[in-house]
Amino acid sequence: MAVTPASIAQPVRRKAKLWDRIYPYLSVTIPFLVIALFTIYPVLYAVRISFYQYILTKPKAHPFVGLKNFVEVVTSYYFRTSLTNTAIYALAAVVGVTLFGLVVGMLLNSKVRMANVLKVIILLPWAIPAVVAGLMWKWILNSDFGILSGILYSLGLIKQYIPFLADPTLAKISLVMAHIWKEGPLAAIFILAGLQLIPDELYEAARIDGGTGWRIFRMVTLPLLRPILLIVVVYETLTAILVFDLIYVLTGGGPGDSTSLISWFAYAEIFRNLNLGHGVALAIIIALITLVLILIYLRVIRIEETVS
Amino acid sequence: MSEKTKRTVSLFLVNILIIMLIVYIGGPFVWMAVASMQGENDLLRHPPNLIPKNPTLDNYNYVFTGKIPTAYEVKGQLRSRISQEARLIAPALKNSFIVAITVMVINLIIGTPAAYTFARIKFKGKNPGYNFILASRLMPAMAVAIPYYVIIQTLKLLDTYLALILVHSALTLPFTIWFLALYITNIPREMEDAGLVDGCTPFQALTRIVVPMMAPGLVAAAAFAFMTSYNEFLFARFLTQSIKSQTGPMIIASIAGNPDASYSLISVCITLGVIPPLILAITMRKWLTQGLSASITFR
Repeated sequence: MAVTPASIAQPVRRKAKLWDRIYPYLSVTIPFLVIALFTIYPVLYAVRISFYQYILTKPKAHPFVGLKNFVEVVTSYYFRTSLTNTAIYALAAVVGVTLFGLVVGMLLNSKVRMANVLKVIILLPWAIPAVVAGLMWKWILNSDFGILSGILYSLGLIKQYIPFLADPTLAKISLVMAHIWKEGPLAAIFILAGLQLIPDELYEAARIDGGTGWRIFRMVTLPLLRPILLIVVVYETLTAILVFDLIYVLTGGGPGDSTSLISWFAYAEIFRNLNLGHGVALAIIIALITLVLILIYLRVIRIEETVS
Repeated sequence: MSEKTKRTVSLFLVNILIIMLIVYIGGPFVWMAVASMQGENDLLRHPPNLIPKNPTLDNYNYVFTGKIPTAYEVKGQLRSRISQEARLIAPALKNSFIVAITVMVINLIIGTPAAYTFARIKFKGKNPGYNFILASRLMPAMAVAIPYYVIIQTLKLLDTYLALILVHSALTLPFTIWFLALYITNIPREMEDAGLVDGCTPFQALTRIVVPMMAPGLVAAAAFAFMTSYNEFLFARFLTQSIKSQTGPMIIASIAGNPDASYSLISVCITLGVIPPLILAITMRKWLTQGLSASITFR
């Protein structure tokens, strides 16, 4: 019997087909399992805890309490304080970071020679751990030995060291300054990416039409940067709402509760009051707030895309 | 004012602004490095010296060898306790490195094929799977910190490298997969198609044809994974208990949280802790910037 090439090739091809069909699943299985293990179970677990009374000082009794944790958290005095604090903080941080990003992004995009130094160091604050960034600022702002007070003192601008982190208003400002320092670089890089997408011809055309610096910025740069600015604003809002590491080391929510933001409040419920049910209920509320923001964000991007 | 003087003045102002920004961005790093080279007494002066009068490496020497700096002996007992803790920074940074490098390798080895599959191959369940991976990053860390602890405890992995490696991999893989899938989508397809026609399997097409073309993307993804793991604090705080697995940020925060903390030794720990990410940020500057830009401009 003559063996045709086709009949030899067939089993090989069938094998290859089976392999081709399995391969996609095989290649995504491990990462998918790792991610799923740390997503599905934790979320279900967190949701479950939030419906029970879970106080760590009473390890034996975990009665089902329904929505009581949520009600207690939402109606508490701290919830309102932390929500107000978070709103003020987010507003100041987002405006600050966006302005910083805009200014630095434009400098990085300019041909000024000094800006090359900025190019080298701009990523540094972004690259280091947030806790470490917080600690660096904590020492700089220290009320007894801080270098910032030290410099102002040597320049004769102040008579006494300023307790930056002990005064409620100054503590908020300090926190926002440290936040801008840490988060601003990323915004600057994003905005730089947006600026580089604007064709040079547009600027030239505007200049030929007699446009001056500020007018060109308002009429050309800003409108074309809009999509990126929107992304930066939403992203930075999320970052500001979820900020934790920085507060943990810089102010610990104080003085008083002047820098207790909502994530810090969740942390404090779990680790200071040892009330897991409250803390997790609060974390779920935060998750829902961020989810709403993300949906708005996706919506905005889709609208931007259909417009452009 | 003539056009020329106007331009000179505005250039001058722009340069002043840039100098102020350089001081704001770089100042804290410079001050940490300067502070780490001074004795405790010099630092507690009013005002402290911006340029150290007696620069010394004694503080570093202490952290690595345990030889107590002369400035400390005057201070006596109270200080030596915190000093002991400062000596943990070297093993802690070693832990950080082991964890971050493993996480980086895992991301490259299992993240790249997954990204390639999502970018190029059609299969059932692709979209839900991809969306699930992306959405997984939306959970606030605080909500899942306790469940993570429970999982790690059940797996009997508390206070081990493996715990951190698992959690950090779960944290970084979604970004890696998304980022690399984007990168691959932007590579022209022709070369692979030719390879596939010649009888390559998809995996061979990936390793022989695509990987060499996506080297810059892989470098950026690797750097992101390394940094995320190296910098992560909240989960490290929950899942580690001793210097067996505690990472750099953990130890630095715990040293500084001590009210008796010695200013100069904290500066040493911070300086040592930020050197690796700073080296990465400066040497990989181009790739990181491109990667970050890509993540916001391509969609």
